Amino acid sequence: MNLLDYHVLLALSSGPMHGYAIKDAVALDSGGTQEPRAGTLYRIIARLISTGQVRETAPPSDAPIHPGHTRRYYTLTLAGRRTLAEQARLLKGAAAQAERRLGASGRS
Amino acid sequence: MNTLWACVVRLFPRAFRTEFGVDVAAQAHADYQRARARSVPTGLWSITTSLLNIIAAALAEHLRPTWVSAPPPSKGIGMRGFFDVWRLDLTYAGRALRRSPGFAAVTVLTLALAMGVTAGIFTVVNTVLIQPLPFANPDRLVYIAGTAPGSDLPPEFGVSPEFFLHYRQRATLIEDVAIFNTFTSTLRVGDRVERIPMAVATSTVFSTLGASPMLGRLPGTGDASSVAVISHTLWQMWFAGRADVIGQTHFIGDGRRTIIGVMGAEFTFPSDSTLLWMSTDVREGTFPVGRFGGGMVARVKPGSTHENVARELTNLARELPGRFGGSAAYARTMAQYVAVVRPLADEVLGPAARPLWVLFAAAGIVLLIACANVANLFMVRAEGRHREMAVRQAIGAQRGQLLRVQLSEVLLVAIAAGALAVLFASVTLPLFLRFVPPGLPRLSAIHVDATTILFTAVLAIVAGLACGLLPAIRSSRPSLARLRDGSRSSTRGRLWARNVLVVAQTALALVLLIASGLLLRSHSKLSAVNPGYDVRDVFTFQIAPEQPALVDGPSFAQFWLSFADRLEALPGVQSVGIVENVPLDEGLSAARFRTDTAAGEAGPLLNFTFAGADYYKAMGIAVVAGRPFSREDAVSSLGHVVISRSAAKMLWPDADPIGRRVQREGLTTWETVVGVVDDVIQDDYRDAAVPLVYFPLTGQQPTQWRLPSPAFVVKTARTDSIATDIRSVVREVAPEAPMYRAYTMEGLAERSRLALSFTMLTLGIVSVLALILGAVGLYGVLSYVVTERTREIGVRMALGAQVGGVRRMVVAQGLRVIAVGVAIGLVIAAMSTRALGTLLFGVDARDPWVFIGTALTMGLIGLAASYLPARRASNVDPITSLRGD
Repeated sequence: MNLLDYHVLLALSSGPMHGYAIKDAVALDSGGTQEPRAGTLYRIIARLISTGQVRETAPPSDAPIHPGHTRRYYTLTLAGRRTLAEQARLLKGAAAQAERRLGASGRS
Repeated sequence: MNTLWACVVRLFPRAFRTEFGVDVAAQAHADYQRARARSVPTGLWSITTSLLNIIAAALAEHLRPTWVSAPPPSKGIGMRGFFDVWRLDLTYAGRALRRSPGFAAVTVLTLALAMGVTAGIFTVVNTVLIQPLPFANPDRLVYIAGTAPGSDLPPEFGVSPEFFLHYRQRATLIEDVAIFNTFTSTLRVGDRVERIPMAVATSTVFSTLGASPMLGRLPGTGDASSVAVISHTLWQMWFAGRADVIGQTHFIGDGRRTIIGVMGAEFTFPSDSTLLWMSTDVREGTFPVGRFGGGMVARVKPGSTHENVARELTNLARELPGRFGGSAAYARTMAQYVAVVRPLADEVLGPAARPLWVLFAAAGIVLLIACANVANLFMVRAEGRHREMAVRQAIGAQRGQLLRVQLSEVLLVAIAAGALAVLFASVTLPLFLRFVPPGLPRLSAIHVDATTILFTAVLAIVAGLACGLLPAIRSSRPSLARLRDGSRSSTRGRLWARNVLVVAQTALALVLLIASGLLLRSHSKLSAVNPGYDVRDVFTFQIAPEQPALVDGPSFAQFWLSFADRLEALPGVQSVGIVENVPLDEGLSAARFRTDTAAGEAGPLLNFTFAGADYYKAMGIAVVAGRPFSREDAVSSLGHVVISRSAAKMLWPDADPIGRRVQREGLTTWETVVGVVDDVIQDDYRDAAVPLVYFPLTGQQPTQWRLPSPAFVVKTARTDSIATDIRSVVREVAPEAPMYRAYTMEGLAERSRLALSFTMLTLGIVSVLALILGAVGLYGVLSYVVTERTREIGVRMALGAQVGGVRRMVVAQGLRVIAVGVAIGLVIAAMSTRALGTLLFGVDARDPWVFIGTALTMGLIGLAASYLPARRASNVDPITSLRGD
């Protein structure tokens, strides 16, 4: 599970989204450090669908009609939610570790 | 602009494109529009980066697909998904291999060669040894013989007729039993006369084996000894497959018999060469008791073990003297008698089994060596792709995925090699079979079939896994540290696995080499055996005349002697001899002989035959004492015999045999010994010479015996052209008698060594193959080590290391690995060469010369394989090697 996969799961945890919205949400969540381009993003989506963490879903009723082509919406599966929670816990642990060590070296 | 995205998106694999192509293009376009809104350069930058991103993503998607067209169920991936993933991996592996055709060719060919050899020999082993005998429920058929430890009988000997009667009536664990004998005898159909291999058997032989005829009927109880059943081969060869053969009466063996049945082509018993079965009737009181030597086959009842059957038969055999009487010697023998019971398949296939299993094992070893080589090559390749693996891991590939990528390449190679191997086997197998010694059972049934293909398929997958697992596991653990520091770190830690492979290859190749060395020595010892006669310049043949004047011993003897005179008058003929059973072609009969000095005793068991004219002179058999047969002995009733040296020793251990008298069991007359000749080897060069009594062409009573078709031995330098001359003489004296069984004694001697020379030759070829593969493996590893250590060697040389020192360093590294391999190989060989068993002759299974010699050879080859890389190492230019980084 790389960082972008995590961010895509994170973005979708707020509800069903279409591709472009996922990209913007990832950028926002990561403070602008992650901004997947089209090819990269859809490979991640494809991988997450293939491994059963994300599935396609019907557009919400309030979705704006987009000109040109129908936007496809994606949502987390139960497995996806579990993965996200697991990853978050791991990252949290790793972050706390980093803070402890940096804090310790700062005092000395 | 949309067209541009639509074009680039086409780079994605179809499955991915169908699902996400439009979305990718739409998003790239939206990106551009957003950037363009800020400024034109930002827009252009967006187009460029999106383009690069899509191209990279498309490429990545080809290499590592993320999109499996049918989304798998959330719990694991199903079978379909599993195969899809493998299919993709294999497609990718195919592409990767196509990029390095040299590597692919070498690995595929190495494996194909080894697998082809294995598949070919498997086909032979499967057809000859593994497939059940062509009888009903063959697992319940047993061969029965006996042993009597402590008696003067051979370690194992056949049964006699009273066993058949007693077993048939009393044995409770046996359903049916038959007794049979095989020999070569005369078949006369019209004017065609030949001696053919045939059998005489009780009519129960067919019911025991569960066989039924293809044509006609089988002998029953009322048939006694007047009928015969013929084989499919004989039916085709002599009777052109005509149905009216049934009911015909011909001269078969010793008299006229009616052919009542034809067996199917699959019925072969006891060997493939048996062409005809005469029926016989065993009735109490019609045969002498204790005439051992008959073969016995029985069908045991379901559920009874061979041990139980043997125990019951042993107990029954002990009752025989009580029921049938017989001599005191017979009673003594039966008191020690133990029945031997073994599967019929072992008896029928026994002689062929060992060479075939040895060859099969050898092929397996070659395959192992080939696998080690290919595994080595894949490890080198994996080293080269280490960075790629590290990168893949860094971007999120699972270990299992990395494993699969590696394994699919090896499997692809193995599958391609398997296909090639089947092709290779089907081309070479017929060639191989042409050199197989005659007598191999079911030879004609051997061909590459579905079983071979299935076996090769399994072999390919197993070999693929064997070759691939080690490199794959090692390279699926790429170290990110190596990615960072540029991967020029020490190779020491990574080398052990490859050294282990070279050690294994060396050890296995040495085992094969030792085995062929032992066979080679056996062969030279066997060729050096003195058979007691001179096989050079001797031509032998038989004829079987049928003339009204030829009725008894003297008339036949007279005819033969004058025929021999005609032959001797032919240009280039030095001498001509007559013998009933020519050595290396026919077996001898045996009987007990008692002497005038120890009357009352049954006497020792000796072989006997009949000889006349200048037999000993023509064969170069030395006359040790007394004289050979004279013309008088041949035609009159003097009752003279000539005995062999060992027979003399057995009959009169301490006295001069000349002038003493012997009596053959079953005869009423006593014969006087007039000469002693050297021992001869009768059947096989590997057997000891047999004690032998030679009777003259005529017995003391004119009708005691007659020789209707003895063999002639003609000593002449013209063995290749004499046949024509002889044929014209035959045409004059006996136009009705064709000449048959015409051989040179040299040819017969070669035939007797054929089984060994064949095994030796094949094993030799296989071990040379193993040796080459092993040497290539060592060379490959050392070459790689030198390449990896170029920089270190460069530094050493820059610091003043001498060329010789560097060479020694590399060679020593190679030799250390070889030495370990040789040591292990010697141990394995010492433990396993006994499996060669009876193939060895006059050589110990642990012959020190062979062991030391082959170990040294292996060392020399290792030296050569190490020296080439060492020379390359010493040519390293320090400047270049250091600049290389």
